[in-house]
Amino acid sequence: MTTRRHFLRSTGTLIALPALESIGFKAFAAPKVSAPPKRMVFLGFGWGVTNETWFPDAKKTGAAWELSEGLKPLARHQKDITVVQGCANKFANEAHWGSTFWLTGANRYAEPGQSFHNSISADQVAAAHLGKETRFASIQLNTPDVANSGHGPGLSMAWDPRGKPMAGLENPVAAFHRLFSDDTTPLSERQAMLAQKRSVLDAVLEDAKRVQNGLTKTDIDKLDEYYQSIRDIEVRLGKDEQWLSVPKSKPPVAEPKPGLAGKAEIEVMYDLIVAALQTDSTRVLTYRQPVGTLLQSLGTKVAPHDMSHYSPGDRMAASQKRDATQSELLAGLIDKLKATKEADGTTLFDHIALAYGSNIRTIHYLDNCPTVLTGGAANLKLGHHLVLPKDTPLCNVWLTMLHGLGIEAERHGDSTGVVKELIA
Amino acid sequence: MRRRFILASLLLTATSTFAADAPHAQLDAKHRAFLKDNCLTCHNAEKQKGKVRLDDIAFTLDSVEKADLWQKVLNSINSGEMPPEDEKQPDAAAKTNFLEALSHSLVAARRTLGDSGGKIVLRRLNRREYQNTIRDLLGVEMDVSDLPPDTGNGTFDTVGSSLFMSSDQVEQYLALGRRALEDVFAQRAAQGRHFKLHEETEKAANVQTRSAMDVITKKSEPARQWHAAVDAAAAKPENAKLVSELRATKDVQEDARRFYRRWQDIQGAPSPWKFGFKDAPEAEMAQGEYDAIHKYQERYLTLPKVNEGSYLFIFRLRHEEGIKPPKDMPPGRYTMRFRIAALDDTPPERRFVELGRPSQPGSYDILSTHHITGTLANPQIVEASVTLNSTDRREFAIREKRLNSREHEVALWVLHERKHKDWLPPSMWIDWIEFEGPLPNEAGRGLFNDKPARELIADFTTRAFRGTKPDASFLDGLVKLYEKRRATGDSHEQALKESMSIVLAAPGFLYLAEPAQPGKARPLTNAELATRLAYFLWSAPPDEALLGMADLHSEKALVEQVDRMLASPKSRAFVTGFVHQWLGLDRLDFFQFNARQFPEFDDSLKAAARNEVFETFAHLLHHDGSLTRLLKSDEAVVNGLLARFYGIEDVAGDAWQPVKLPADSPRGGLLGMSAIMAMGSNGERTSPVERGAWVLRKVLNDPPPPAPPNVPQLSRLVDKPLSPRERVLAHQEEPQCLQCHRKIDPIGFGLENFNTIGQWRTTELYTKAGEGRKDWPIDSSGAFHKGPKFNDYFQLRDLIAAKRENFARSFTEALIEYALGRPFGFADESLADDIVQRAKTKDFAIREIIRALVVSKAFRVK
Repeated sequence: MTTRRHFLRSTGTLIALPALESIGFKAFAAPKVSAPPKRMVFLGFGWGVTNETWFPDAKKTGAAWELSEGLKPLARHQKDITVVQGCANKFANEAHWGSTFWLTGANRYAEPGQSFHNSISADQVAAAHLGKETRFASIQLNTPDVANSGHGPGLSMAWDPRGKPMAGLENPVAAFHRLFSDDTTPLSERQAMLAQKRSVLDAVLEDAKRVQNGLTKTDIDKLDEYYQSIRDIEVRLGKDEQWLSVPKSKPPVAEPKPGLAGKAEIEVMYDLIVAALQTDSTRVLTYRQPVGTLLQSLGTKVAPHDMSHYSPGDRMAASQKRDATQSELLAGLIDKLKATKEADGTTLFDHIALAYGSNIRTIHYLDNCPTVLTGGAANLKLGHHLVLPKDTPLCNVWLTMLHGLGIEAERHGDSTGVVKELIA
Repeated sequence: MRRRFILASLLLTATSTFAADAPHAQLDAKHRAFLKDNCLTCHNAEKQKGKVRLDDIAFTLDSVEKADLWQKVLNSINSGEMPPEDEKQPDAAAKTNFLEALSHSLVAARRTLGDSGGKIVLRRLNRREYQNTIRDLLGVEMDVSDLPPDTGNGTFDTVGSSLFMSSDQVEQYLALGRRALEDVFAQRAAQGRHFKLHEETEKAANVQTRSAMDVITKKSEPARQWHAAVDAAAAKPENAKLVSELRATKDVQEDARRFYRRWQDIQGAPSPWKFGFKDAPEAEMAQGEYDAIHKYQERYLTLPKVNEGSYLFIFRLRHEEGIKPPKDMPPGRYTMRFRIAALDDTPPERRFVELGRPSQPGSYDILSTHHITGTLANPQIVEASVTLNSTDRREFAIREKRLNSREHEVALWVLHERKHKDWLPPSMWIDWIEFEGPLPNEAGRGLFNDKPARELIADFTTRAFRGTKPDASFLDGLVKLYEKRRATGDSHEQALKESMSIVLAAPGFLYLAEPAQPGKARPLTNAELATRLAYFLWSAPPDEALLGMADLHSEKALVEQVDRMLASPKSRAFVTGFVHQWLGLDRLDFFQFNARQFPEFDDSLKAAARNEVFETFAHLLHHDGSLTRLLKSDEAVVNGLLARFYGIEDVAGDAWQPVKLPADSPRGGLLGMSAIMAMGSNGERTSPVERGAWVLRKVLNDPPPPAPPNVPQLSRLVDKPLSPRERVLAHQEEPQCLQCHRKIDPIGFGLENFNTIGQWRTTELYTKAGEGRKDWPIDSSGAFHKGPKFNDYFQLRDLIAAKRENFARSFTEALIEYALGRPFGFADESLADDIVQRAKTKDFAIREIIRALVVSKAFRVK
């Protein structure tokens, strides 16, 4: 224990120890159980939903609502989910971008002289607060099937504080290894490697200074992305150093098979989300889900973009099958969250705030973004159907969730305030 | 046809890249009437309904806020939300015209507001350039799929402002750089060694066939014994009645073998487990496998020349022949060779082989496709160059060309067998396969000599930085790292590798930096100009000849270099990189082509169709051809595979070659290319809208605004069986749709003679209520919106081909954006004008357009 504490102190930063039970330090765990941490998860599904059959009847709101056909598979959790209607990102203007601005609410054209602009995503706002004590401040899960899934530009659902795209883990195998695979080299060697990595960063920064010399302001701003990348690596190395002597958690799930796609891919990613939270490897996750391969795995022959432009017949059937399968998968995830116990006897479900949806409602519509909320962490009114005034900023919902998690952001994206009706 | 209306109306005199600000987008004041009639009753100074006031809205869209307000207006009208249902509705024609003007003004506003004022933003090497730069520097071909692709954001992958950097990416550069250097070191370790594998295919083929025969014979022997024993019991008189009943059941009638599943009912019949099977179906399978394959294996071994080579089948037997380079072969370029013949009775469409890496059963990463013209009497030797790197699986194989999945090969085999009661015959015979190399890596070899570490690192860095010397402080850091590694026991080379890999993640390597003073244009240095030119025409760093030019700025020197560089094989990167993005060929990969409808459109053919676009462009580029030949031409550039698909006779082999077309051929020019037409489909049906919009965007330089969000979908027609034309014409009922589709759709219909994969057709099968399934004649007649009529595709093509200047302008704008690495903006208008005018005097020769751009001031200043 002395060495560990000593080491942590020696890094010069004071960090809180992670929940000890979860990282296999039972022997050191304090007998008093502290409250489980709060988590935030966003699941995005690109090409919207089937308008006619996914949304609950707008006349039946509050606690007396009825599940729609597309949400039926969630019946066993009806009291624990809330469906919000009426929200939109007012600047959204790209009919095929279901994820690019979903969590940011940015105006693509806000910066004169730039044809693309974005701002920080809600998960990253959360990560800055919830991510301090975990090995990974946040984890971005992605799919190899981005092009066919209506997500739009970006490397994952997450955008950093400067509105730059953040990389995601392409597939379940990559996610598994990032979360759970330990470097087997001895500690002293890994320390030496960290030191070497720092020298590498120092070296390239020397060259950056030379390159910067004489550049125009615009170019210096561009080169700043490089500096910022190096700074981000340094922060990560700092974190690595803090966690160097702490082995990664034992994976509560088996290593996924390579090549999973569609439904199987989503299922395994959901398992990994639970595993990541359960082991407290991270408290913030986003997942940009596949839609194209999901359709393929359901045996439909309809091309994903065609499916999104459904009309009655094969395409609409495919669209509805997609809705039902996505709901079924979400229901499975909620089952697991409820079944996973925390140290104090509560469940993971009680300590998570999860949003599930897309910037695209259906076809080419960007208003009334489909939104399902669940989890007990953000003090949300669950088991409700809320129909908000048309074009309520979706960012108001994100802001409400952030506040509920104890993150007192003044605003987010184009938010105008919190959604009072959503607060329990 | 060109409608960059806000700009075209202005006389452009600006020549400096730092010209005055772009003029702002305008909405013509005449549209105020529409607002007045339909919006201002509620949205005026007093009544600001919904907090929206439009009476004072500005008709000059010179700020993001103003554009946003207009966008809101457009969105509410498009979505049908405004005017509200209970209010008076606007006249349809007025609404159409208003929407058209407004959506174009907004596109123009986004463009001017997003104008970079001619600034070229610091460029990072994109993924393609990174790969080529590593290749030129180290002589190794890297798999760069871990890096972000840099495409898909609406601009070219050379536009600096859209090329981002992230921490993950920096780490990837460090890792990839180290891997590349490891390859170089592995090559160095194996220096002087030459490897040659030679496989006589019959050896493995015959041994494996015989042993497979033994296995299934042995496995099925007990099944035969058990079946005989059941038969013996069934033959007994006490079973006679039951047996005749059993044999009459539907199940057994369908498949006689299922009789044995009822063994328990037959008195005296032994159980299958006594014979080693867990149940009757297992015995059935063992017997079934024998019945299905053994006879073919026997027959295989009696084929002529079976002791000198092996035969290629689609499935069962030999469905591929491969070669596995062992681990000790260093990474590098190798030559793969095989001696092969098509059998005398093999039909022409089966005389193609695919060389690739088997990835999953039945599917390949296809590297190349070859047309086999050799015969058993006179086999041919095919030679192909392949890359072996340290991470890929070490296996290469060849097989007959086919749909790229196990499911399809099984289907092909089974369907043939069912129909002909015979095997699907072999198509080709392979004598042997060779694998030889590596080819010497000159670039990699040049990295090392006896100089001290500091000098080696300094030399390498200067080369990696394209001639720019690094600072001493940077070198100090690298040398210190080298020394530290040496002190911990690393070898000289190991330690060098670590320091050198850092160079490959340094800004001097990753960015093309051009220092400048704000507001002052300066000529590029020779090295900077060489670099810009090299990344334009090669997507690769400048070579020594280019860096060594004394005065690259002179027109003569530049033109000479352009010609030299285009003649180099490295210019292939320009052809593929530019043309692919310019024409939006990525759409070809958006859809799975329906294999049942279009079995001939397999991966090899799709690749050939895509290549046709590149090869045609390259042919024109290398032979001083006119850009306008892409609109209409009396020749097509094809290889054996594509010629067969198009029904063009007398073209054999893998070489791409120009062939003269008959006067009535629909081929010749982009519109007649399979790839271009296939992109205008969803893999099943054609999409006249996609095709029409593509022609407007790429050929006529009159791009329609992007598909607007929130436009109500027409639901009136769902469920109604309509021809595609009727369905799309419905687009034109609502003003929201009509504003764009009246321009788009007629062109698309004019191309309906091309089916989903670009084959010529005169009828289309579709289903109509009351009429059943019916071949419907294609009607490709139409008229341009406010323009001339055409009776068919050929007239349409002529009308489009007459728009030479529009096309040249579209090409030039794209080329400027690609070459300068910035979105085409106001500052480039006059440049584009100049280039088009200059090229016009040379019949729009592609090479002339490139030369004109390279010698322009914009290309040579920062």
